[in-house]
Amino acid sequence: MSLIKTDAPGQRLLLMGNEAIARGALEAGVQVCAAYPGNPSSEIIGTLSQVAEELGIYVEWSVNEKVALEVAAAASLAGLRGLAAMKQNGLNVASDFLLNLNLSGSKGGLVVVVCDDPSALSSSNEEDSRAFARLADLPLLEPSGFQEAKEMTKWAFELSEELGLPCLIRSVTRVSHARGNVQLGELPKAERRARFDTSKPILPVPVIWTHRLLHEKLEKCRKRFEASEFNLYRGPQRAELLILTSGAGWMYALEAISNLGLEARVGIAKLGTTWPLPEGFLKEQLSRSTKVLFVEEVDPFLETNVKGFAAQVQEELGPKLFLGKSTGTLPDIGELTPDHLIRVLKELLEVSYEPRPATYIQEAAQAASQAAPPRTLGFCAGCPHRATYWAVKKALALDGRDGFVLGDIGCYSLGMGPAGFFQMKTLHAMGSGAGLANGFGQLGRFGLEQPVLAVCGDSTFYHAAIPALVNARYNGADFLMLILDNSATAMTGFQPHPGTGRTAMGEVANPIDIEALCRALGVRVQSADPFQLDRTVELLLDLLQDGKGVRVLVLRQECALVRGKREGRAFKVLVDQERCLGLKCGCNRLCTRVFRCPGLVWDGASGKARVDEAICTGCGVCASICPASAILKEAI
Amino acid sequence: MDQDRGLKALESLVLGRGLCTMCGACARMCPYLETFNGRIVKLHECDLQEGRCFAHCPRTALDLAALNRNRFGSEEVPLELGFQKRVLMGRGLDPGLRGKAQTGGTVSSLVALALEEGLVDAAVLTQRGKDLLPAGRIVSRREEVLECAGSSYVASPSLAALNKGPWQGHERIALVGVPCQIWALEKMRSCELNQDAPARKVVLSIGLFCTWALSYTPFVSFLRRKFPSEVVEAMDITPPPERILRIRTSSGSREVPVEEIRPFVQPACTVCADMTSELADLSVGTVEGEPGWNTLIIRTSAGESILDRALARGILEVKDLPAPNAQHLAQASMLKKRRALEAIKQMEDGKGGYLLADSRWLERVRLGTEGGEQ
Amino acid sequence: MLLEKDPWNLVITGVGGQGNVLASQILGQILVDKGYLVTIGETYGASQRGGSVMSHMRVSTKDQFSPLIPEGQADLVIGLEPTEVLRVMAPYGNPGTMALVNLRPIHPIDVIAGENSYPELQKVLARLKRLSSRVWILNATEIALEMGDPIFSNIVMLGALSALELLPVDQEGFASVVQRLMPGHKAEENLVAFQKGKLAVREYRET
Repeated sequence: MSLIKTDAPGQRLLLMGNEAIARGALEAGVQVCAAYPGNPSSEIIGTLSQVAEELGIYVEWSVNEKVALEVAAAASLAGLRGLAAMKQNGLNVASDFLLNLNLSGSKGGLVVVVCDDPSALSSSNEEDSRAFARLADLPLLEPSGFQEAKEMTKWAFELSEELGLPCLIRSVTRVSHARGNVQLGELPKAERRARFDTSKPILPVPVIWTHRLLHEKLEKCRKRFEASEFNLYRGPQRAELLILTSGAGWMYALEAISNLGLEARVGIAKLGTTWPLPEGFLKEQLSRSTKVLFVEEVDPFLETNVKGFAAQVQEELGPKLFLGKSTGTLPDIGELTPDHLIRVLKELLEVSYEPRPATYIQEAAQAASQAAPPRTLGFCAGCPHRATYWAVKKALALDGRDGFVLGDIGCYSLGMGPAGFFQMKTLHAMGSGAGLANGFGQLGRFGLEQPVLAVCGDSTFYHAAIPALVNARYNGADFLMLILDNSATAMTGFQPHPGTGRTAMGEVANPIDIEALCRALGVRVQSADPFQLDRTVELLLDLLQDGKGVRVLVLRQECALVRGKREGRAFKVLVDQERCLGLKCGCNRLCTRVFRCPGLVWDGASGKARVDEAICTGCGVCASICPASAILKEAI
Repeated sequence: MDQDRGLKALESLVLGRGLCTMCGACARMCPYLETFNGRIVKLHECDLQEGRCFAHCPRTALDLAALNRNRFGSEEVPLELGFQKRVLMGRGLDPGLRGKAQTGGTVSSLVALALEEGLVDAAVLTQRGKDLLPAGRIVSRREEVLECAGSSYVASPSLAALNKGPWQGHERIALVGVPCQIWALEKMRSCELNQDAPARKVVLSIGLFCTWALSYTPFVSFLRRKFPSEVVEAMDITPPPERILRIRTSSGSREVPVEEIRPFVQPACTVCADMTSELADLSVGTVEGEPGWNTLIIRTSAGESILDRALARGILEVKDLPAPNAQHLAQASMLKKRRALEAIKQMEDGKGGYLLADSRWLERVRLGTEGGEQ
Repeated sequence: MLLEKDPWNLVITGVGGQGNVLASQILGQILVDKGYLVTIGETYGASQRGGSVMSHMRVSTKDQFSPLIPEGQADLVIGLEPTEVLRVMAPYGNPGTMALVNLRPIHPIDVIAGENSYPELQKVLARLKRLSSRVWILNATEIALEMGDPIFSNIVMLGALSALELLPVDQEGFASVVQRLMPGHKAEENLVAFQKGKLAVREYRET
């Protein structure tokens, strides 16, 4: 449960960056919040949804990020404050609307938080969303810590309202998914009433006029940024090296300077407002040193823009040595760490630093490589996706035409690896498995003889696969679409979606029936429980071999974690040590070597399989794969 | 011995080189090999160094001398037709069976008799199913035997049914199969990896004469192309010299010269050196020029005793196989061996000869072949 | 209370699903309630699914430190799984690092699949002892299973931490946080788990 509704100004709480952002929105009097879940952004709306009813605000898990932004924008257009949150990929989805909304402008404070995921710790891509601020000519803020995340969010609403423009906040994993002290401010009481002024339509046209207006607004924004307390300098008056940073880079730079004892030699200029550039502030900072190191995550956004600005004012500033990603001084992929900065500063400033003896480093590395076996990602114990891919693998092998599965984003993406027996062969955007299948499904005319399958999760189906299904039905693409309905947006934290029958506010809603939707489209649809392996294989074969056009198979079984939280185990599962023949069985350890559920382990001492009761969730699927019938499931 | 004798070896030496006879001996014992739509399907990788799949396969290394010794107590068996007690011609006297069966109804009569007399509790037969797809079937009643009567011509993984069961553990089983299946049966019986294999419960093996079998998918595709929108109801090949595939479809009678379907003969059959199921208890085939009659080669006492019972019960009538027929049969058998030898020699990588292990046999075929040509 | 070292750096490590995040959240809030500046960096996301997870905690009276501990600067590693502690020592350990270890192994999928082997527990501990100044152990998962649910393992470990008196973590502070974060009956059970952990922990000595 989140503590963000604590109404005690001045109190210090340990908040996650995302909670701090949510709290900042509450302190700004936000009334409408919407998002589609995606890590590392999910907790912003997640925590707001927990307090929505009590605080009288509206919070929605929207069907996708574009709709989420439109929902929040509607609040703004009716004079309220609105918040939309998303991960980097989500902003791509929402960008079509955003790049019209910038021209039409907004009214009530509208803040779009986008959480980037440097190193793609929980993403399928690495992307720097700051590019959208330039692309859309919109103000961009980047928090460097937890307190700042809250304060910046609060201020972003004011700024947005003042400019009549949506304001972007770019967070990163190490801010959003980290925790730190946050001192609470006031929670406002007064609420605005919504009204849309019908006398003033909100339009991006005439474009030449609105585009000019947008640039004027951005110029006004730049002036506001010049005075922003989110931009600051720490260090000597003149420095041997100036670090120019934003976001999490600020924390790493501080850490590195303190570890190396470089406080008197290196200065750090931190930008909280990174687009449009606060040029006056920058000019002042750049004059402190002839050597400038850019510290930022993912793309050289500051580096490119600041160098462009510096070129304009080079006569005043004099020659500079700029270091960063473009000079190879810092990596141009992946997230930064304090150690990156320590290494670079150590070299640039020629100081020595040995955090621990070399012999220790060697011994510790050896211990880890020899005695800490690596952990490959896998499906959770009892996960229905394991059963699904097991059935898909068998059906495709039996079918024998080298069929393949096109996938997308969700827990089931692990189907590309050993967890899903390497069945999933493509991974791109939400719904792209179904989209690609539309194309592959037309290639029969050019000799494609392989069966085409697409997978998508239930949440992904609503998010992005429905248009693909409509297209397939109408244009006659040949493929089998598998909808893996585990009744949750599982990967991001079990958020509800239109199939679950409840809303972000916890209200009961009439779920949207996937099968009925398919039937209404005129698509042949069947459903099965993937835990019934034989039946699933049979249906898959039938649907693969029979018929033309798009066919849908809904494989429905609740996420093991959701079920486990609600009702515990369905079965007590155990391996009968008499019946298990171990290495003497011809099974060659099918249950552990191939099936790979973490709940079943191989007991080296006895040479037999056994159930790890601390991990097994009691789905009982393994009982149906053991050729010796040695795995028993007893109803609890 | 470090040599891999598991699924990986089976894949590289047999399955991957088109040498699988689709006998079914490797399938349905373990979770890794399955049969489906006329193919042996590998469901998962298996890295066992030694596996029953490899041991059972009639196309992995084979010591024919040892099998003959086990079976008949002698390695010195006649080259042409294998060990034999008697060679006869016979036909079933039950008109119900004769109408159904391909020629003389001998096999169906004998299996039905064995079941009725309690000599066996069950039999593994081959039944042609939907879309001409044949499969093994476990039967225990006369009516079920009738449902399986008639030749398949398409290779059937019937031994998978023997592997899979279900068996209670105490049955006595009869098995009817083509030569590769009878070879596999003998390998299964002598395999040290499965002491309690169902194959060890087979007390009567009836081998069919076989010159080749068809690959399911290409053959069925051919029929669909040739007779679109017709459902094949029955199919038979007339005996030599005519050799015509007669098909009864939903729209009437169709005829296809055998030459037209020869491209669909399994590549694995080209290296087969056994026409008469030389390791069976008794072998049954057609008799050239004598429609309605079967050739019978009685090889063991089990074969002899079922024949005697059939004669005693008046189910079968027999007479001596005329000398020209016998001679012709031997020539046909030697022709198959000679062709197999050529095919084995021509295999590019030299690893193809599952019989290469048996150099004495090779030498005898070579000499026998030369002798035959003198 | 001043810290022996500032910042004091703690790593809580384990396998996805063991409750790493909740343990760090509760511990952090206890310390914030006592007036410390605490930063926690968490590595999870897709690594929920059977992967290694790790929370970095920085405790300070001076500053809000970054959510990532620099190389070799961990003061204590709490391992919800034994081999995970060794994995963390490689980048973050130093000769003065201490370790608190739950002895219950969780076999990685590669081990289950036979592609790798899990080391003997005694060997893991012996290696760990060579890399640390002190090592404490307990079987937190067994205690949690005796309570009826392995989910309590992380709280058992926090109880064990409180017994070491390295940080100002006590039962009152713990109770105050869980009562705010969890519904009533869950808070009760967690208090029991905390107490059990406090009693069960012992120092590892090589035999």
